[in-house]
Amino acid sequence: MNQVGFLELMGFGPQGWGPSMLFGALMTLAVAGSGFLLGAAIGTLGAWAKIAGGRVARSLADLYTTVLRGIPDLLVIYLFYFGGGMVLSSIAHLFGEGGFISLPGFAAGALAIGVVSGAHHTEVFRGAFRAVSRGEIEAARAVGMSRMLCFRRIIAPLVLRYALPGLGNVWQLVLKESALVSVTGVVELVREAQIGAGSTRQPFDFFISAAALYLCITTLSGWMMRRAERHFSRGMARA
Amino acid sequence: MIDLAFMSEAWGKLLAGVPLTLQLALLATALGGALAVALAAMRVSGIAALDAAARFYVFAFRGSPLLVQIFLIYYGLGQFRAVRLSFLWPFLREPYWCAVLALTLNTAAYASEIIRGGLLSVPRGEIEAARACGMSRSLAFRRIILPLALRQALPAYGNELILMVKATSLASIITLMEITGIAAKLVSDTYRVIEVFVAAGALYLAINFALTRIVMAVEYWLTPHLRPVPVIALDTGDAG
Amino acid sequence: MSGAAGEDAGGVPPPIALRLEDLHKSYGPLEVLKGISLTAREGEVVSVLGASGSGKSTMLRCINLLEVPDSGTITVAGETVRLARNRRGETRPVEPAQVVRLRSRVGMVFQSFNLWSHKTVLENVIEAPIHVQKRPRADCTAEAEALLAKVGIAEKRNHYPAHLSGGQQQRAAIARALAMRPALLLFDEPTSALDPELVGEVLRVMRALADEGRTMLVVTHEMGFAREVSSRVVFLHQGVVEAEGTPDEFFGTRGSERFRRFVAG
Repeated sequence: MNQVGFLELMGFGPQGWGPSMLFGALMTLAVAGSGFLLGAAIGTLGAWAKIAGGRVARSLADLYTTVLRGIPDLLVIYLFYFGGGMVLSSIAHLFGEGGFISLPGFAAGALAIGVVSGAHHTEVFRGAFRAVSRGEIEAARAVGMSRMLCFRRIIAPLVLRYALPGLGNVWQLVLKESALVSVTGVVELVREAQIGAGSTRQPFDFFISAAALYLCITTLSGWMMRRAERHFSRGMARA
Repeated sequence: MIDLAFMSEAWGKLLAGVPLTLQLALLATALGGALAVALAAMRVSGIAALDAAARFYVFAFRGSPLLVQIFLIYYGLGQFRAVRLSFLWPFLREPYWCAVLALTLNTAAYASEIIRGGLLSVPRGEIEAARACGMSRSLAFRRIILPLALRQALPAYGNELILMVKATSLASIITLMEITGIAAKLVSDTYRVIEVFVAAGALYLAINFALTRIVMAVEYWLTPHLRPVPVIALDTGDAG
Repeated sequence: MSGAAGEDAGGVPPPIALRLEDLHKSYGPLEVLKGISLTAREGEVVSVLGASGSGKSTMLRCINLLEVPDSGTITVAGETVRLARNRRGETRPVEPAQVVRLRSRVGMVFQSFNLWSHKTVLENVIEAPIHVQKRPRADCTAEAEALLAKVGIAEKRNHYPAHLSGGQQQRAAIARALAMRPALLLFDEPTSALDPELVGEVLRVMRALADEGRTMLVVTHEMGFAREVSSRVVFLHQGVVEAEGTPDEFFGTRGSERFRRFVAG
């Protein structure tokens, strides 16, 4: 039983897993970031459907948010991972290629996170839009702004401002969700920790490091979010 | 393309996972709730050391993924000889108890913030009236503050229960055969991703719907003081 | 008709129910109580008048230690509250048991009623007698029902505070204070938060209590009550007792200039 000391294990020396863990953390950020952006795009669509859409659009959006907030994220990840592979394989089959092509874990993970966080994003944007006072929009129309211009210059910036706290929360959620992507084999932080744990038989050291790294990332994210909120709230009366 | 017969067969197989899912969720919520009350009490106690300890606990468990917490307990604790030789080992080597422990510790962090919010929302005047009647801090906490705080926290707590049900799916990663575990096995055996996924998703939605209804009923039952005035036939001689 | 604070047949004045000596209280740089001294005998109804910021409520809240004075002595029913400075320089009661005892003997009625919203009216009234004074539930309940009848809201016993009008809530609060069988009743602007048409029902109850011979200290703006029901009027101004006397003295030809302006203004 060759137990390596914790500092040496996580350091940057020959026995050190430091670089690998940090790379895993970067991969986490990559998956989370991609998923977050995709989710934001979906969320904008969803919010639009709920605010300005017809009955069909609204119902679809409601169905989407209800379903995705009621089922486990892990199921969605499995869906995209196994299901995506099936779709790809069917397409390949059409072209005469046999066998099973699996969807790369990163893609499956980012897609899954995007779709799940999209439900949260929808609610965040919807709430943020409702927070924009009617008066400010009316004033824009009154000076003759077209709908497009009004959206671009008035509505969108204000919605973004109100959405920031909610977006910060969704980001924290997405960061933790990205840990689940490890089941697809993507070597983000958790997977890296598992590899290290398996290799050195010191699982506690690796998982506690992983936890510490996540805490660093979430703390930094929180700090940056608060700065962004302060910056974008210039001149706005505090509730 | 979608085999409905297979889907209903899958549904039947998935139902076998419901008891485990519910057990994990309810047990963790109950135990976590007790821990959460303690944590919230520590936060509002006014004692700096307790407050800091509770704050660190909440920070650590809310800032790291549940999966890492599960792995830490299931895989990580086994690294220490002291743990392997202790009386806890028979529990800590079982995936079931590791999952319960991880879920409990995790939900306690979130729930304590919900309860703390409830505690802070209790009207000052009602607390003062309790003190003015001679209640000690702990008596006032037990009889007045906590009951009011819990009623205030019910909606958010109900939401936390739903999140717990979803969180139990992670237990499948450490070999437990709750709904997601069975679903994953079905998929890898039959490659029928859509049918299994739809069935599993529908099952979770059904459970969450039922739980939401129950929570709403509990809320209604616990808050007669928030309902509109009861309409009685004739108010007998209101002295005015 | 002033309250029943007379002397008994032997000409001996009733025992002192409350004595405050030289109370001082500051909130940071702001000194709210600058040396308040007050005595109330059993059976007296003392009205405390004064402008906002004169320290009336703070003085009242010192009596049952909801606020702790920085210096001075408080003696309730013969027992002096033991205070000491703690490590941070704040004055605190030395003995928690004494505080509980004191609060059991002093009933308080708040401006905003402060009934416990998750309990029915009846439950509100029996709560402290059962859990603080440890009296048997059956006795407390019976007494509570009697008190609720006395204040005129017996039929609301199973209602929740939110379902009662302001006047009814305040009467319930009075019943709650009475349920503790207090030696002294404190009223902190009991009618200030009420709609005008509901003020009367509360004042009627308070008057009935005064006629019973209860010892009451009432911070109020209701001049009518002060003149007609109290046996003594105390006028506070900027943290000190500016003037003290019988209602006749106050509302009659004597009384300080400031008081006149206060009454007129």
